Amino acid sequence: MKIKIDGISFDAPEYFTILDAARFLGLNIPTLCYHEGLSPGGNCRLCVVEIGKGDRTKLVTSCTYPVEEGLVVRTSSERVIKARKMTLELLIAQSPTSKVLQDLASKMGLKQVRFKPKWESCINCGLCVRMCEEQMKAKAIGFVNRGNKLEITTPFDMESEDCRKCGACMYICPVVTLRCHGAHPESVLCSGCYNSLQPTCTSNEDNYNCWMGLKNECGTCYNGESNENINENIK
Amino acid sequence: MKKISSIEEFISFRKSILNEPADNTPTLVISAGTCGQASGANDIMRAAKRYILEHHLHEKVSIRVTGCLGFCQIEPFILAEPENYIYPNLKTEDVPRVIKAIVKKEIIKELMYRENDDDKTYCTLEEIPFYKYQTRTILKRNQKIDPIRVFNYFKAGGYSAFEKVISNPDQEWIISEIKKAELRGRGGAGFPTGLKWENARNSNNGSGKKFVVCNADEGDPGAYMDRNVLEGNPQLIIEGMIIAGIAIGATKGFVYVRSEYPLAIKHSMIAIRQARDIGILGENILSTGIDFDIEIVRGAGAFVCGEETALIKSIEGKMGQPEQRPPYPVDKGIWGHPTCINNVETLANVPVIINEGADEYIKVGMPGARGTKIFSLVGKIKNTGLVEVPLGTTIHEVVNKIGGGPSGKSKIKAIQTGGPSGGCIPEELFDLPINYESLNKVGSIMGSGGMIVMDESTCMVDIAKYFTNFLQEESCGKCSVCREGTQRMNEILTNISEGRGTMEDLTLLEELGPVIKDASMCGLGQTAPNPVLATIKYFREEYIDHIIKKKCKATVCKEIVSSPCQYTCPINTDVSVYVALIARKKYAEALEVIKETNPFASVLSRICHHPCENKCKAGEGGDPIAIRDLKRFATDYGIENNLYSTTEPVKKTNGIKVAVIGSGPSGLTCSFYLSKMGYEVTVFEKESVIGGMLTLGIPEYRLPRKILKVDLDYIKSAGMEIKTDFALGEDYTIDGLLDQGYKSVFLATGSHQSLKLGIPGEEVEGVIPGMQALAALNLGKKIELGKRVGIIGGGNTAVDAARRVLRAETSESVTMIDAARSALRTTKPENVTIFYRRTIEEIPAYKEEVDGAGDEGIKIEYLTAPVRIITNKGKLKACEFIRMKLGEIDESGRRRPVPIKGSEFTVELDTLIVSISESPDISFLKNEGLEFSKWDTIIIDPETCLTKRPGIFAGGDMVTGPNTVVDAVAAGKIASESIDQYLTGKEVKREYKLTRPSKYIEPVEFSNKELDELISAKRSEMPLLSSEKRKYNLMEVNQGLTEEQAIKEAKRCLRCELETIDGKKFLKNLEEVEERG
Repeated sequence: MKIKIDGISFDAPEYFTILDAARFLGLNIPTLCYHEGLSPGGNCRLCVVEIGKGDRTKLVTSCTYPVEEGLVVRTSSERVIKARKMTLELLIAQSPTSKVLQDLASKMGLKQVRFKPKWESCINCGLCVRMCEEQMKAKAIGFVNRGNKLEITTPFDMESEDCRKCGACMYICPVVTLRCHGAHPESVLCSGCYNSLQPTCTSNEDNYNCWMGLKNECGTCYNGESNENINENIK
Repeated sequence: MKKISSIEEFISFRKSILNEPADNTPTLVISAGTCGQASGANDIMRAAKRYILEHHLHEKVSIRVTGCLGFCQIEPFILAEPENYIYPNLKTEDVPRVIKAIVKKEIIKELMYRENDDDKTYCTLEEIPFYKYQTRTILKRNQKIDPIRVFNYFKAGGYSAFEKVISNPDQEWIISEIKKAELRGRGGAGFPTGLKWENARNSNNGSGKKFVVCNADEGDPGAYMDRNVLEGNPQLIIEGMIIAGIAIGATKGFVYVRSEYPLAIKHSMIAIRQARDIGILGENILSTGIDFDIEIVRGAGAFVCGEETALIKSIEGKMGQPEQRPPYPVDKGIWGHPTCINNVETLANVPVIINEGADEYIKVGMPGARGTKIFSLVGKIKNTGLVEVPLGTTIHEVVNKIGGGPSGKSKIKAIQTGGPSGGCIPEELFDLPINYESLNKVGSIMGSGGMIVMDESTCMVDIAKYFTNFLQEESCGKCSVCREGTQRMNEILTNISEGRGTMEDLTLLEELGPVIKDASMCGLGQTAPNPVLATIKYFREEYIDHIIKKKCKATVCKEIVSSPCQYTCPINTDVSVYVALIARKKYAEALEVIKETNPFASVLSRICHHPCENKCKAGEGGDPIAIRDLKRFATDYGIENNLYSTTEPVKKTNGIKVAVIGSGPSGLTCSFYLSKMGYEVTVFEKESVIGGMLTLGIPEYRLPRKILKVDLDYIKSAGMEIKTDFALGEDYTIDGLLDQGYKSVFLATGSHQSLKLGIPGEEVEGVIPGMQALAALNLGKKIELGKRVGIIGGGNTAVDAARRVLRAETSESVTMIDAARSALRTTKPENVTIFYRRTIEEIPAYKEEVDGAGDEGIKIEYLTAPVRIITNKGKLKACEFIRMKLGEIDESGRRRPVPIKGSEFTVELDTLIVSISESPDISFLKNEGLEFSKWDTIIIDPETCLTKRPGIFAGGDMVTGPNTVVDAVAAGKIASESIDQYLTGKEVKREYKLTRPSKYIEPVEFSNKELDELISAKRSEMPLLSSEKRKYNLMEVNQGLTEEQAIKEAKRCLRCELETIDGKKFLKNLEEVEERG
């Protein structure tokens, strides 16, 4: 497949996506909901690139678009940058505490967020859902509702029997894993990220090893309450 | 019946049905689609059946229950075949009459269709303009088909395309026909159907199966053409699907239909079963080896499932979220098999093309967009319903010719096409031919065919907010841009509609919109910003009004408007507050509230044109609150008890001198407020009396002079100096005033010069200008009118055009009626006749005046215009008139009167008063360095009343042309604020605030019984002086409400101001206080 990407002619294998081709060539396309081990979702829209020639160009997500013969791609046209920045602005406003998003903002030079912050702890990127289904083969969580009511949860918001509490969802989550609170003025070190790598919740649950470091905020621990109690609480 | 198992058998079966002799019994067609049933078609059907059975008429007349015939406005109706006589909006009790008439082959004219303002009766369906201008290729068929009877469909020529295709199942031929017909997807995007089929046919991913899907997930608000076709003619869709199946080699079809369409589901299920029974569907169809069956899948109501990939997921039983394309469904669709998805209407067109041949089909429509398209025409339009027109028809034709124009009196300002994915198209672009590209170009889309008509009572910000709210709920949420973007658009629009928006918000919307369009995954997101971007593009003014002026022209946005009465009032009177106070019997407090914003309270309580009442929410579906009469009750109470008759002048003036020229409502208001601020104001008046038009123009029976004096005394008590008999241009100049130390001048000299008719003979004796007559009559001067008096009012086209620009429509014809009534009262003529060139409908605000004139015996000739004056020895003898009829709608939104040729007639008259309009007299202002319009009005900055000359301000009628009193008072208030800003060295700029009452008044508690009474209560009638007592004197006609009436009327108020966030907070506080205490 002969394609032209940012002016570079390239003969890409048939199974390549635009993102594969770009990465192969060392061209940087920011991604958020993309992960090599998972199927591409196209949810976050940060990896958009412009394809086509002349007036008939359009934006597509590079992570899902397969290369085709004669494809012309621009990975950082003005239109692309504008769209990416606005998308990131929307995402950061949704969840300003995400370190991944904040890092992307610094990298992309986002200077302002004009929307009112929502302080949510999920940006619905769907990484956890794909992780749970494709790698952990559990299908314990999924999307519920739609539009402004969309959320990721277990069926009927109840504890899932399929969930093995492996924590893969938390591991891959760009919002919750590394919640940066900033450096403490006294110690200069922020110490948040380091702590999150420690198994801190072992006292609550003996059967598995938790790496989340959020001390009961993550929702996978139940403060030592037995499952029966939880079920009662739900009722 | 027996299953048909060969093509020959099928051909002979079809032939036998078609060859059956025609049945000429009269048939009642009852349209009973979902819309028909909702308006009572089932009752009509039952009544008809019962009558036919009871009277043993079943051999003389038959009934056919069909799907919707398109004209939903006139449902329920009976259509009588074979003549197609139509009885619209039928009541059950009229059914027997209609059936009797049909059996006797008679017609009942009074029950037949009529356009609102037309006397013409339209007897048959074809004659009705709504149907006449359509090309009903698809919808026409519904009339002959009872959707649950497959034989009806055969009889109407159905399955002939199927017969053609099954006898010659050549895929290439079918696809080439469809391609040649240039059929494009009717679901909205307009993808060439032939090409899609070709791709689907050629697609071979080795999976072995292929699918056809009929997309009937029609979720746009205001669109229902797919439902109609599926309900009314399901076999047509089945036929289309089989052809599609054969063309691409599919073995299975799905009809994906919303569960909200139970009737469509029922009818298509029955139709599929019948088709299977006959052998048209199933395995090895007619022994040809072709398999094709159809299954119905019900959608659960998500709008996004109309999108191809989401629809596929939904059919697969998964969550209805779109997938990124490519791969396209024709390559990889349901369970990975190639899938061809077509809209209902697209499939409905397929049998038509196969039957007629592509060459015939492309004769309708325009290049690139062939055939017809069904639109659902809804909203503020006279004829709502489904409209089928060739592509390329202009919007104007659809809206005005077929739709019949606006439903109410307001002018149509835009239509929304394509529902929430489309945009609005403003009225200026109505000449646009409707096709896929043209609509795209103006920022809208064809969409599935919804057309929502909007008039001036629709707020475009509100519309945009409505659609983004719909979309933020219906976006699947999978891709971030669409999910977050629609929510943020809605958030920003909510802010704007609640008066909290900024200009940066507007920029942000314009930046955000294109990104959502660009970066979204599916069609929903890619079109979601259209409603917002289109309204900003075409109605930017409305957005800016909301943001900067805190105004919502349509009086819709609740947080901006608070209560429509206060919002509409040009002088921001706290209507809701004083009405609430009257309801609580606190009359003195009410009067205080009134006087706070209005120095002419007593005057305006009698002669205000009360725009507040026109917008009153109680008036929607009931009578508006008699706001003006309540104000009069409070002011009369004040006069009786001598309350607030004077105001405290400021103790010490600031020594700055201001000159006000003209002592009309505008000048005196400005003087009043400036005096209260501490300025030394001098009012200069040309006449010997003050009050301007209030004294000269308004007759005493409407405004008693002692009432006028109350307000004038009140204003004077603020401490201004008044110089009468002092005329500008004669006794002084503006420059002279400035030399004398006046720092600022406010010009308000009014508009007193009567306009001329511009017809031959106007200059003779006996023809009197309206203002001259009125002023003489009002000042008690003797004036000889003779026995037969005629009054011409309303003006000519040129004058009308001027008025529109000057926003003075409401005052039109007021002087005409005033002159007529005054003439009758003072000079005892034998008869008084008004000649008006429009109809009573066109006199908007002063209906009570028109009624009053009628009561007093004044004759009004509507639709009459003068042609020439006939003279005798240089004196008026008679006047020749011509009759008019209403023609096309003109720029003012009213129908323009046009002369009827040869209808001239002559009326003998002693006096003819010409009061078509007035213009300002500016002869004395020529050399003052001011600018004037071509209508002699002075040009100012309407925001501040500042003229082109610094320090010189102007307001009132001399700026607007003849206008209402309250507008003049408003101008005086604005001017006083601007002058203060100017004199204190601030920037002269109008400040805008959200409308809010000065205080919230606790609502009156009602018992349930009292509440029931109030809900159904009519407006309290103003007691009037009897018409006998009125003759030949100037006694006031309106007598004022009694206390009991006033309280009852005030209690009727709906208290809109309590519906805002602030108002709700007040109510909540009240509750808390009650709970505590």
